[in-house]
Amino acid sequence: MAVGPASIARPAPVAGRPITLRGLLEREGVFSWIMLTPGVLFLLAFVAYPFFYGIFLSLEEHPVARAGRFVGFANFVILAHDGVFWQVTRNTFMYVAVTTVFKLLGGFAMALVMNQSFRGRNLTRAFLLLPFIVPTALSTVAWMWILDPTFSIVNWLLVHGGVITSGYSWLGNASLAMWSLIVVNTWRGMPFYGITLLAGLQTISPDLYEAAAIDGATTTQRFLYVTLPVIKPVLIIVTMFSVIFTFGDFQLIYALTHGGPANATHVFSTWAFDIGMSGGQLGMGAAVALAILPALVVLIVGLTIYLRRE
Amino acid sequence: MTSRRDFVTVTLAAVGGALAPRWAGAAPKAMSVVHESSFIKAFDDFFVQKLAPEYEKLTGIKINYEPVSVGSMLTRLTTIVETKAGPEIVATGVNWPYLFDAGLVDVTDVANEVGKKLGGWHDNIYDAVVVNRKWKAIPWGNIGQLEVYRTDWFKEVGVNKFPDTWEDLLAAGRLLKKKGHPFGFELGHGFGDNHGWLYPLLWSYGGREVDKDGKTVLIDSSETAKAVDFCRKFYQETMLEDVLGWTDVNNNRAFLAEQISCTNNAMSILIVAKRDFPEIGKVTDHGLNPQGPKGRFHLFNVQSHAIAAHAPDQAAAKAFLRWLYDDKQLSAWLVAGDAYYAPFLHGYDNHPMWNADPRYLPYKDCLRTSRLHAWPGPAGHQASESVAKYVLVDMFAKACRGDSTKDVIATAAAQLKQIYKAK
Repeated sequence: MAVGPASIARPAPVAGRPITLRGLLEREGVFSWIMLTPGVLFLLAFVAYPFFYGIFLSLEEHPVARAGRFVGFANFVILAHDGVFWQVTRNTFMYVAVTTVFKLLGGFAMALVMNQSFRGRNLTRAFLLLPFIVPTALSTVAWMWILDPTFSIVNWLLVHGGVITSGYSWLGNASLAMWSLIVVNTWRGMPFYGITLLAGLQTISPDLYEAAAIDGATTTQRFLYVTLPVIKPVLIIVTMFSVIFTFGDFQLIYALTHGGPANATHVFSTWAFDIGMSGGQLGMGAAVALAILPALVVLIVGLTIYLRRE
Repeated sequence: MTSRRDFVTVTLAAVGGALAPRWAGAAPKAMSVVHESSFIKAFDDFFVQKLAPEYEKLTGIKINYEPVSVGSMLTRLTTIVETKAGPEIVATGVNWPYLFDAGLVDVTDVANEVGKKLGGWHDNIYDAVVVNRKWKAIPWGNIGQLEVYRTDWFKEVGVNKFPDTWEDLLAAGRLLKKKGHPFGFELGHGFGDNHGWLYPLLWSYGGREVDKDGKTVLIDSSETAKAVDFCRKFYQETMLEDVLGWTDVNNNRAFLAEQISCTNNAMSILIVAKRDFPEIGKVTDHGLNPQGPKGRFHLFNVQSHAIAAHAPDQAAAKAFLRWLYDDKQLSAWLVAGDAYYAPFLHGYDNHPMWNADPRYLPYKDCLRTSRLHAWPGPAGHQASESVAKYVLVDMFAKACRGDSTKDVIATAAAQLKQIYKAK
């Protein structure tokens, strides 16, 4: 017997029929809200509440253990007149911009290599992911030793290789300290780009490359006119995520330099933590942390609009 | 599970089951104490293995000991006081009784009793723990920051006794650096070993951050300029470049790796050397901070116990502190600490723990000349903000890397004026 659409359709509610729990749970609208509620509550409690409380705090003069006093934008005005704030702003943007370019180029190269067939490919893939898998606190301790002037293997190699006569102060010199942090962040963040872009590369149909090859496209042309256009949305998304993560980077800098020497490596997150948690000025600390917000909003909105157009 | 209803029912039952014991049973009678992990493991062990079980046996109250990593206690305390949740008894350091004043219980009665029983409190401790005439914490000891040096290398350059003045130390440092034994004084963003010598250096040249009124910023002075000029010379002629980026672990490591001949530190270097590097331990000694034209100073790092205002049973918490600060318990605990903590009670001025090693004695002697960071200014929120922003440390560090004395002082003065809301 053929089953017609009418027989499998949900029976229409009958007027006057009692509402049962079973009946409610079987309704799409009710059930989807039940499933969504834990997630929404979690986001409200651990994302929305701290975010809005942070905004509220930034508008207060709020010494720790005391009641806050609403001061409007006074904290932001004070920051605008603080030389260290502008130094921290420069540091943050330099750190984010340079590491993003390095991670993007290095990660893309890593993905292209990993997309080729060669012996030991799976093992190499696993090893390349290590920097991303190892807890930051642990890998940072290893970097502390690598960059320590006394025990640094880099200095040892350079001195014994006859390149220099005495070791560099990787974390004691203001410029070298920033570049050292950039190298460590790039090392840690590159696999994120690599593995995500590799996933993107694997979705490209080999037919496209074959067609391009038949048309006489060179390797460079195949990369520019086949690979890049297809992978562009992934590239943009992964860059957006990486920029957001790097803007909020804390552990690495805090453990290696704590913002020193003389604030040369302080970024918004480390400076905000020092002012809020160590200095007890919760309002000012929140204001510093929120200072990243406009840049992030512009970036996210800009990239989202671009992606929609694409 | 065959239907959505089954799924939801099972999930709700599981969540309910997980929460049920919390609703059903009453919490056992217990109190918690939060401390920064001690460099001296035996000090923590003594509390956990001896003191806490003894108190539980005596009163039935279980004492939980929550250690936090070194340098993280301030963050933990901020969280406890702001959220009004967590351990009832909290350890405080430096000026924290002022910083968390409103979140701490008045323990004047306990402090008076302890003082009466144990010979009275040292006079200068009041500056650190008595806020608006109320004791907000009971101090058990000071972690002094002194000069730690290699006696053998100093002798090699003809210095048989630790130099008494900064200029003499500079002269010794020049000779030692030429011999391949530079100094290593932290100038980076650590939490203690930088402040430990830079505040005393400033004071010993007559410089001050702020006046007693907490409104008049005094940093822009000829005395500060002299201290800055000396520091630049001291750094350039005696130290490694790397000290500008050092945090608190670096100088310990460099000293024990025989890379530096002198630093400013707590007693931890000697204690670790005696345990793990006995040969280095034999040739390591301590000296008081050298004096400058305006005297000799040290930095206070007062370690105390306070009761958080949210403690449900404040009387019980006070009773525990009374018991803990009784001679029987406190004396044995300090001995377990290997004299790492110098007590502020006159009854302990000649405590047997000081006889264990004569090299410990400078840590007792430095108490008389110790001051809090903002001294002579008030030890409140502004003092903490200045420390957290490394105003003084960076003033000296920038001068050492080559900035002009005038510029570094002007920057520090601008920062301090903003912090203290001064004109």
